[in-house]
Amino acid sequence: MKRSIGAAAGAFLLALSLFPSPAFPLLYIDINAPGGKRMPIAVADVVVGPGDPSLSRGIPKILSDDLVLTDLFDLIPSTAHMETVTAAHFSGKPLSFPGWKMIGAEAVVIGNVEVGGDRLSIEMRLYDATQGTLLLGKRYTGTPAQLRSIVHRFANEIVYTFTGVRGVFGTEIAFTARSAKSRGKELYIVGMDGQDLRKVTDNRSFNLFPRWSPDGQWLAYTSFRTGTPIVYLRNVSTGAEKEVVRFGGSKAPGGFSPDGVWLYAGVSQAGNSDIYRVRVVGGAMEKVVEGWGLEVSPSPSPDGRRIAFVSDRGGSPQIYVKTIGVAGETRISNGAGYATSPSWSPAGDRIAYTARSGGRFIVATVAPDGSGSREVVSATDGDCEDPSFSPDGRSLVYTYRKRDYSALKIISSDGLRQRTLVSGLEDVGSPAWSPGR
Amino acid sequence: MKGTFSWKWAVLALSVAALVAVGCAKKQTVKSEGAPGSASAPGAITEAPVKEAPPAPVAVAPATPPASAPGIAVTEEKLSQFDDVRFDFDKSEVREDGRKACGVVADYLKKHPQAQMQIEGHCDDRGTAEYNMALGERRATAVMTYLVSLGVPKAVLSTVSFGKEKPLDPGHNEGAWAKNRRAHFVLK
Repeated sequence: MKRSIGAAAGAFLLALSLFPSPAFPLLYIDINAPGGKRMPIAVADVVVGPGDPSLSRGIPKILSDDLVLTDLFDLIPSTAHMETVTAAHFSGKPLSFPGWKMIGAEAVVIGNVEVGGDRLSIEMRLYDATQGTLLLGKRYTGTPAQLRSIVHRFANEIVYTFTGVRGVFGTEIAFTARSAKSRGKELYIVGMDGQDLRKVTDNRSFNLFPRWSPDGQWLAYTSFRTGTPIVYLRNVSTGAEKEVVRFGGSKAPGGFSPDGVWLYAGVSQAGNSDIYRVRVVGGAMEKVVEGWGLEVSPSPSPDGRRIAFVSDRGGSPQIYVKTIGVAGETRISNGAGYATSPSWSPAGDRIAYTARSGGRFIVATVAPDGSGSREVVSATDGDCEDPSFSPDGRSLVYTYRKRDYSALKIISSDGLRQRTLVSGLEDVGSPAWSPGR
Repeated sequence: MKGTFSWKWAVLALSVAALVAVGCAKKQTVKSEGAPGSASAPGAITEAPVKEAPPAPVAVAPATPPASAPGIAVTEEKLSQFDDVRFDFDKSEVREDGRKACGVVADYLKKHPQAQMQIEGHCDDRGTAEYNMALGERRATAVMTYLVSLGVPKAVLSTVSFGKEKPLDPGHNEGAWAKNRRAHFVLK
């Protein structure tokens, strides 16, 4: 993180003298610098006009929890705040910035909410306390049920303002877990902050391999509810479903092309799994990779030109990369042991996968040309598997498994920070992070 | 964590504030238009109405009803009069002991030409679910191919893979894994 105040203040003055109007932001967080300092930020109690007075602290709580999750900010506790924000601050009255600076704040967030019936209107502002300038202002309207997603949106704007990369609040993770009663597997969705856990399917069979469409509206998955595996598309908000792959034996969707036109899947025929892609509209199917080995788990690159996939053609499952429509495939895992479940990073520069090391499964990443492979997370007492990148590429969700205990965990892509997303469900697996919201 | 940073930041903040105060003073002489009041005028707020997500560019008509009804009971272990065929880790070759079990199945099917047999392929719970799903299909197909080589008509045979989803033994040791890497015969 580069917080350009102290050290850079001099540089800024120099820049001012060289350039009449500086084009770079004064406050800036370099998200690529590991272990950097956090930006001190104050989120003031929100002004509540008509409406629920608990929102005054409730909205800052949602926002603060989001900002803490990024590991980019330090929240200045409200007990230290010296200025009470009022409605007048939203109609021209300036904040007392020296007071905010005195308690260490470099940025200040204020908000004003009005609730009328089933509508709420929230105005949120972000100030640079060191300069006394408005960095960002948004007015949102929605229903009270949308409150969390409104605040998540503003949190994403704050992260974008300071880093240039949009935050991932409000995104969700789809996954599978075993039902204690039926012993089947059902699909679940949970918010990236661990809130709002819900069951998506409830048909007491095996529902597996959820994959998000690029617009975040659909999940492709395999269900055994008719007795044999079929790949369906399911609309996440309405529950409407459509069959997309019935052909073949075992089948598992791997991912959509970025334009949403194709769904890539591993499909077995006569015991031999190959990679196919099927047109989401119309259902036309074509083979993309074939071979005598098992070819599974296609993960399209963010530009849609290539796929990473698993093949055991060399004797053990390994990760390969292929350019669509071009002959030839390159192995990018090291050829030893066991390498599965590739997940391409949103920037296209890394591929995360499950590797086997010392009898344990671990999560590693590698460049698409096979160089620079490195471990992201492992556990001495269990297995770490099935990585899926967050839409900003800063985190990975994965499955942790230790005998009968399993959990979904989130780790920063540099491997430094980790938290548990879901625990307490049985045999969780196949996490898939939704696109940005 | 909230308790630990306040001191550090208070000290840092004071020094930073001092530096910034210098910076601001200088800056405002340079940037004469930029009074804080004008920057925070209400006109600077952009409106961003929060509505339901935009319509999906992927237009998919619902072709099947929502999957809330219970499915076919596929999660229960089906009793079989035949022994399972077992496999080595990450392998699908039918071993000597498995050939014996297949021989019994082949004899039965030849004596009962009306019978229909489904071969389920299963894996142990190590490794990735997708890969195991394909591996289970390859195991079931290897058994089917072997039965056909023994003279069983292919038409009475079918395969389905459950991957690692339906372990016979829920344990996490070599004994359980060996039982779970199997082809299971179910008369239909």
